[in-house]
Amino acid sequence: MSIRMCLRRGSAADLIGLGAGVVLAAPVLVGIGYAAAASLGVVGPGATAAGVERIARVLAERTTWRGLGLTLWVAVLATALAMAGAVLVAVLFRGAGWFDRVARGLAVLPLPVPHLVAGALGVWILGQSGEIARVLAAVGAVRMPAEVPALVYDRWGIGLALTMAWKESAFLAVVATALLATRSVDVEDAARTLGAGPLQTFVRITWPILWRGLLPAVIAVFVFVAGSYEAAALLAPSDPLVLPLLVADRASDPDLGRRGDAYVATLLLLGIAVLAVVAHEWTRARWEPLDP
Amino acid sequence: MRSEPPGAARRAPARRGVRATPALVLTAALAALVACGGRDSRKRAASGDQGQETVAALATLPWDSVVARARGTEVIWRMWRGDPSINAYVDGWVAPRLRDRYGITLRAVEGQGPEIVNQLVVEREAGRHTGTASLLWINGETFSNLRREQLLAGPWAGRLPNAAYVDSTSPIVSRDFEQDPAGYESPWGRVQFALIYDSTRTPAPPRSLAELAAWIRAHPGRFTHDQGFTGTTFLKMVLYAKAGGVRGLQGGFDSTRYAAARSGVFAWLDSLRPFFWRGGTTYPPDVSAMHRLFANREIDFSMSNNQNEVVTKVRQGILPPTARALLLTDGTIANTHYLGIATNAPNAAGAMVVADFLLSPEAQLEKLKPDVWADGTVLDATRLPDEWRARFAALDADPRQLPRDSLAKYARPEISPRYHERLAADWRSHVRGRQP
Amino acid sequence: MTGSHLAAAVPRPGPGRIVRGVLLLALVASSLAPLVLLAIWSMSGRWLYPALLPTEYSAASWRALGAESLGPALVTSGALAAAAGLVGCVLALPLGRALARLRGWRRHVGAAAAFLPVAAPPLALGTGLQVVLLSVGLGGTVAGVLLAHLVPAVGYLSLFFLGTFTLFDERVEAEARTLGATPWQVWRHVLLPMLRGPIVEAVALGFLISWGQFALTLVVGGGAVRALPLEVFALVRAGQDRAAAVGALLLVVPPAIGLAALRWAAQRTAVAPA
Repeated sequence: MSIRMCLRRGSAADLIGLGAGVVLAAPVLVGIGYAAAASLGVVGPGATAAGVERIARVLAERTTWRGLGLTLWVAVLATALAMAGAVLVAVLFRGAGWFDRVARGLAVLPLPVPHLVAGALGVWILGQSGEIARVLAAVGAVRMPAEVPALVYDRWGIGLALTMAWKESAFLAVVATALLATRSVDVEDAARTLGAGPLQTFVRITWPILWRGLLPAVIAVFVFVAGSYEAAALLAPSDPLVLPLLVADRASDPDLGRRGDAYVATLLLLGIAVLAVVAHEWTRARWEPLDP
Repeated sequence: MRSEPPGAARRAPARRGVRATPALVLTAALAALVACGGRDSRKRAASGDQGQETVAALATLPWDSVVARARGTEVIWRMWRGDPSINAYVDGWVAPRLRDRYGITLRAVEGQGPEIVNQLVVEREAGRHTGTASLLWINGETFSNLRREQLLAGPWAGRLPNAAYVDSTSPIVSRDFEQDPAGYESPWGRVQFALIYDSTRTPAPPRSLAELAAWIRAHPGRFTHDQGFTGTTFLKMVLYAKAGGVRGLQGGFDSTRYAAARSGVFAWLDSLRPFFWRGGTTYPPDVSAMHRLFANREIDFSMSNNQNEVVTKVRQGILPPTARALLLTDGTIANTHYLGIATNAPNAAGAMVVADFLLSPEAQLEKLKPDVWADGTVLDATRLPDEWRARFAALDADPRQLPRDSLAKYARPEISPRYHERLAADWRSHVRGRQP
Repeated sequence: MTGSHLAAAVPRPGPGRIVRGVLLLALVASSLAPLVLLAIWSMSGRWLYPALLPTEYSAASWRALGAESLGPALVTSGALAAAAGLVGCVLALPLGRALARLRGWRRHVGAAAAFLPVAAPPLALGTGLQVVLLSVGLGGTVAGVLLAHLVPAVGYLSLFFLGTFTLFDERVEAEARTLGATPWQVWRHVLLPMLRGPIVEAVALGFLISWGQFALTLVVGGGAVRALPLEVFALVRAGQDRAAAVGALLLVVPPAIGLAALRWAAQRTAVAPA
């Protein structure tokens, strides 16, 4: 095989490969372009004249930044809780016996539950008059709904974070279980034969492999939670407004001229997504052992 | 299964592949295309849109030609689909009769005011002269926005045969938030705002705003209002009171009168906020969430734009059977909801026939029944033929319904939609920690 | 390979066993109880605080399944998801293969490009797609919504096939070529049989991605395309909890059964880890 044939074949593969990438990313890039154009006032409802004044106005509002803050906080909390739950299940239920298989199956059960069903369940179960509150009232722990901690429509988004953590922990449990079953087993065996105790094995071998392997999935969960509209619409507070709700709120503003503000918030959301994609790929590149 | 392509490690560096710029150029081109299209279409008036052209063409023809043109067609109706009682009426009673008598297939799809406006704006920007929906369920600021953007076809409402029965002398029906429909929308039903309370939990409910304020102070954490249309209507009632009655705000939007009344409203709210549910730090997103809070004993009052919602919601099992409607002596807002035709409606003739059927005494009577929807009629009983007048009068009232004379006594008309817009926006800023 | 011997490393008697038992109970409560509650909600006639169980039962929403909006929405969602799974798989297979051929920084750019449509918040993605689809006349149509669903589906499936082809042994294909097979024959007789498992899984994953879409369908469909998630969300927002619970069960149970079937099939062929 001559060098020239190698070169040509390599570059053709590169062209096709990158072309595939362009095809896949194009819809999002168009979305970013349109949102940018609408933010500049060129298109969209309430578009008047082109200019940065709309962007400047929205970015100057406290509502925007508090919304961004709550969005990020809820995403971080939900991701951390989901990861903790998934790691716990994956590590404690590694065996092949029925006990472990049932536990793993249960942990994965929320996987097909869409965000909006999880949100509805959150309202029905976690609300101050929800099922948990009713059980508490039945055993006499509380007398009225107001005595139950407020987890729905609360300013810290705890109920929303718990609900999303419940749903996404199933996804992370699948990834964590697969990781433990494939990547760390051999190394752990070696450690065991060298005489390491279970705690030592976990701290020095299992956990480092686990968190590195989970990180791309954790970043994915983060961006799924941050971008979810349905669950936030059912559980999130009215103030601060998480970004997806801010988009919807502005888009239905009685003042037609303000509706374009939604696109600035959309740009913020897409910006978070782009950053997450870069982080996701970087962690995969760094710690994914199977990539050539 | 791991593969190593032969010579991978030793492959000579390939020629620099596709650069990223084509992707950027593509995006920029698409955005520019959309932007250019958007600019031109905004300057374009409603001409060229199918709905408007149909309405104009049919304006001079007799009604029979409209009906003939609509026969065998499909009408897509964008309306709020959140209440099964309304859906049952539309899908189960109206649609079969339209099919049997006029050969029209009615398809109702979900869409509320702001979504409808945005959708039509985006459709226009994309150059769609023929859209998806023909008939729209609208009122108030939606009508105002649509008219301003020239997204409604018309005038057509006056030429419907059943329009002769409409109670056109009533200020509630003949003006939509003080705007003259001018034939661009046809009235459909009328409702009046009412509070909802539980007769077992609150045996002696407050009867006026002042009594309500005292009640709120005496029962901290048991009252709130929602962030949506109903909540803003409640705030508007307070606005009327602070302006010394609705007359203080009629006659178009006046920013000085508004500012004065608004400061009164916010002073009233601020004094009561610590006694609101959750200390006034958060508010339910919409009226259904409020119903849920009320039914589950988290709060003791709910509210509704429709005074008869109590009837339907108790029947659906959402509200407890002891729920009742309450009017305040300061007056509650009554308004009418309408039907409009989109300027790019694919089937304006069909939409007109549907609107006419919905305006017929038969359809209005069915809609009024407590076990169907209990939505008020826009027809004037005195203009109806005798047998219809008798049937309307003979309609059994549900014991939970408010007596008609109380409703009439405390009804207050709507004011300019600008008040609604400003109040909603200002309340949001006020509550979210920013000064308006 | 499942680490069962490592399970023995967890101390059997004493605290370890108790912790595992407690955790299993917690899992039963947190995973099963919500779904049981959904089932009870779907049959409740009146269920208000402080009742632990409904005070009145009603099968009205189940009986009205065909007559009201949930039945047709189920059919719409099913058709959309099936199409998205099949078409997505067909599109993603060559795309994933192309991405797998990249090396170095290009590979990472390609993988990131594939993940971008998956990570983009559907609400944000939908607003951009809506304009494009409207201008080609597909706004508010099922075809337009299908195209919109394909965006995240093809992205995710391309990543999936990227992983598959990374593990792929290209030498079998190369051998078939040197034996004189045409590219078409190589595909039909060598590649496709080898890829049968991943293809089935990809179709199922594409189905799931489309099945659960909400914001995309809402924005691109303009309210006219009534997929099941839209109906359920509207019902929850309108306070119609019983009907919403019926819809929620319809949303959750079929994919759950499908996923369980996939996992069981995978376990039987013992390729994927449990």
